[in-house]
Amino acid sequence: MGEKKTLNLPLIGNIILTKGHSVLGIILGIIAGGILILISGVNPFDAYGAMLRGAFRNWASFTNVLVRSSPLLLGGIGVAIGIKSGLWNTGIEGFMYLGGIGAAIVSTMNLGLPPVLYVLLCFLVGMLFAGVWGAIPGYLKAYRGVNEVTCTIMMNYIAVYLTNWIVTSTPIAQPEAFYPMSLPFAQATYLPILTQGTSLHIGPFIGIVVCLVFYFLLKYTSFGFRTRMLGYNPIAARYAGVNSKRQMVIIMVIGAMLGGLAGTIECIGLRHRLYMEYVTNVGYESVAVALVAGGNPIGVLVSALFFSILKAGGATMAIETGVSSSMSSIIIALCVLFVVGVGVADEKSASARKRKAKAAAAAKKEVAE
Amino acid sequence: MDNKAYALKMQGITKRFPGTLANDHITIECEHGKVLGLLGENGAGKTTLMNILYGLFRPDEGQIFIDGEEVEIQSPSDAINHGIGMVHQHFKLVDTLTVIENVVLGLPTMKQVLDLAPAKEKLLKLCHEYELFVDPDAEVWRLPVGQQQWVEILKALYRDCKVLVLDEPTAVLTPSESNNLCRAISKITAQGKSVIFISHKLREVMEITDNVTVLRDGKVIGTIATKDATQLKLAEMMVGRAVEIERRPRAKVPADSEPVLVMKDVNVYDERGVHALKNFNLTVHAGEIVGVAGIDGNGQRELAECISGLIKPQSGTIEIKGKPVTGVISDPSFLGFIPEDRHKTGLVLDFTVAENLIIKEYMKAPFAKKGILQYKEIGSHANEMIDKFHVKTSSKDVAVKTLSGGNQQKVVIARELNPEPILDIASQPTRGLDLGAVMGVHDVLMQERERGAAVLFISAELQEVMALSDRIIVLYSGENMGDLDGDTADQAVIGQMMLGKRI
Repeated sequence: MGEKKTLNLPLIGNIILTKGHSVLGIILGIIAGGILILISGVNPFDAYGAMLRGAFRNWASFTNVLVRSSPLLLGGIGVAIGIKSGLWNTGIEGFMYLGGIGAAIVSTMNLGLPPVLYVLLCFLVGMLFAGVWGAIPGYLKAYRGVNEVTCTIMMNYIAVYLTNWIVTSTPIAQPEAFYPMSLPFAQATYLPILTQGTSLHIGPFIGIVVCLVFYFLLKYTSFGFRTRMLGYNPIAARYAGVNSKRQMVIIMVIGAMLGGLAGTIECIGLRHRLYMEYVTNVGYESVAVALVAGGNPIGVLVSALFFSILKAGGATMAIETGVSSSMSSIIIALCVLFVVGVGVADEKSASARKRKAKAAAAAKKEVAE
Repeated sequence: MDNKAYALKMQGITKRFPGTLANDHITIECEHGKVLGLLGENGAGKTTLMNILYGLFRPDEGQIFIDGEEVEIQSPSDAINHGIGMVHQHFKLVDTLTVIENVVLGLPTMKQVLDLAPAKEKLLKLCHEYELFVDPDAEVWRLPVGQQQWVEILKALYRDCKVLVLDEPTAVLTPSESNNLCRAISKITAQGKSVIFISHKLREVMEITDNVTVLRDGKVIGTIATKDATQLKLAEMMVGRAVEIERRPRAKVPADSEPVLVMKDVNVYDERGVHALKNFNLTVHAGEIVGVAGIDGNGQRELAECISGLIKPQSGTIEIKGKPVTGVISDPSFLGFIPEDRHKTGLVLDFTVAENLIIKEYMKAPFAKKGILQYKEIGSHANEMIDKFHVKTSSKDVAVKTLSGGNQQKVVIARELNPEPILDIASQPTRGLDLGAVMGVHDVLMQERERGAAVLFISAELQEVMALSDRIIVLYSGENMGDLDGDTADQAVIGQMMLGKRI
């Protein structure tokens, strides 16, 4: 607590300070991953080298990292504000589908709007769909005491099958498609590509801005104060006059809207159609992102980028060195486990230290007497 | 007597939690075939002590002897192996399993296929032996609460426990079920097993136990044989303070003083449906301290919470200065509320001192403007409060959990009373504090009275109620037992009223 060294670098210093667990956990995760790579018969330094090359070889490969970070940033923040307020939002997967559905409905209609307006409309509808979807588990948790983890995961499945139905049996489904998908989106809804020849759209930058906004929001506003108070001590918050039930619903809806925005951006920025099962567990990965970040928005920024490097570089690692392509997911999972584990171990040793200090003080007293 | 004579002896048990000393060198002795009562108010340290016995907590100091032999209990399974059976206040049963499945759960077995028939036979024998009848094949969630407790007791007996701990067992029982329990306890002790009976209900302790150990503020106040005890004596041990507190001199409250808090025919049922406040009437005037005496758990918490709007009475009216209470009051210039459990309800322990000082006003100017927190204002306010209320802290920016109990309470008091509310509610404000800190709280409450605030002072410590109050009311089982003048009130009379006698 009070005994940690201060490094007054803006932002980064803050992270090292409060997120010592995460940094150590990630390092241990990478080492453990290296051991697994070694067991599979590949030199881990070669493998990690290939991974880094895959992520940083040139601007084009780095754009790949950025593109992959977009949903992780937005979803990660959605989970993180939940963590800050004491809610486990595991519904980003479903919220992303709903965002995609919203975007698909609007952009297959060919409204003939100018691009900027049309994109904003997609954002709006996608967030609205997901927000309404998120209000359901929010309401059930706050007013009916339903466990939010169970509820959001169940709703994820509903969202998956709802999407399947939409891309197979509704007017916006592509007839006779080789894979279930919607009709193509209107050109005006495509997110602008920032670097020709890559798929770098503005999504990752929206994600980064959202991280910074929520960092500010949590730390410097009454809304953030209320949210943190609810997370630390919901009973005291109630005594202080906070309508904790309403606040829970609000937090869940905000998390859902961020998830929805992530889904909308994936659809109109990258795929330009709504595909069956297009989210591929990114929503669950954003839970990992937020966990590693300890719920801190700046931490989300760092861990989302880190995970994207693993994912983007992982493909290159698999091709160049023959390590299984699922190794990057394994390393991500190891990092989460170690971050959580280091946190627990640290807490235990802290209390052990305290006990020892107290015993020593007592012994001293006895001697003096 | 040497240790061998005791079925169980816990010696010098000490357990510290951040900010509190939950158990302070507690020694209890339980003889073979006897019932030891463990009496004390909420927060006196009873449950902590039993959790240490059951291996859920490790003590910081102290030893445990069973049949005279020192044992190390590191986990509940150690405790079970040493013959300790525990019925927790909140049952530890698997709701969806049947009774017999719950009973055998966790028992070692070499068989791969679960054969419950012999177990069922043994259980039914126990049922008959102790007259605690349950259907072994019923799913636990279908059983009434009383029978769920039988399951817990039978589970411990099935494991052939030598010492059975019952933590507030009667809180969930109907009167006839309580009688069944008493009968079962006498049968258990007749076999040479010992029982530790935890309660804060005096009557039951008198009826059931052989010896009583009274705990207060984590310390043993005394152990006496039940046959030598009276309810009054036990009540005194439970609530009294070792140090005499002098009555504070004061001017008389003017007769025309304005009524601030007016409660009429208030009825409150708690979440379990217990009638917690019964046709309750109370008026508190400006510039007077009304003390609420009574043994903990007789409606004090509900009284404080319905005035502050946290719970809604089922009937009756509550008005503060003519304004009916409709929702949670978070305006500290109107109501200052020092809640009874500062860790759970009064403070956000992970927040800093500065943040805790504004948790009711964080959205208002000058601490926030247009939704943006003004850290400069928050900081200077915090420094001002730290000076004014003499809060001992290294800085306004440390987490409040690092402060001592007395200083944490000063933070709560600064937040609640600095805006000069017209009504103060102080609910058990001195619990767990050392004498110096207690005196500090008393000073503050007297100052509030001089300022002209109406003060409702709820405390289970009779002496401090008598020292501070202009008028004293006594709560028993949710009823206002009577209204006494603070100057002339007699401790013995109040003691009787606390036990439910109308005088």
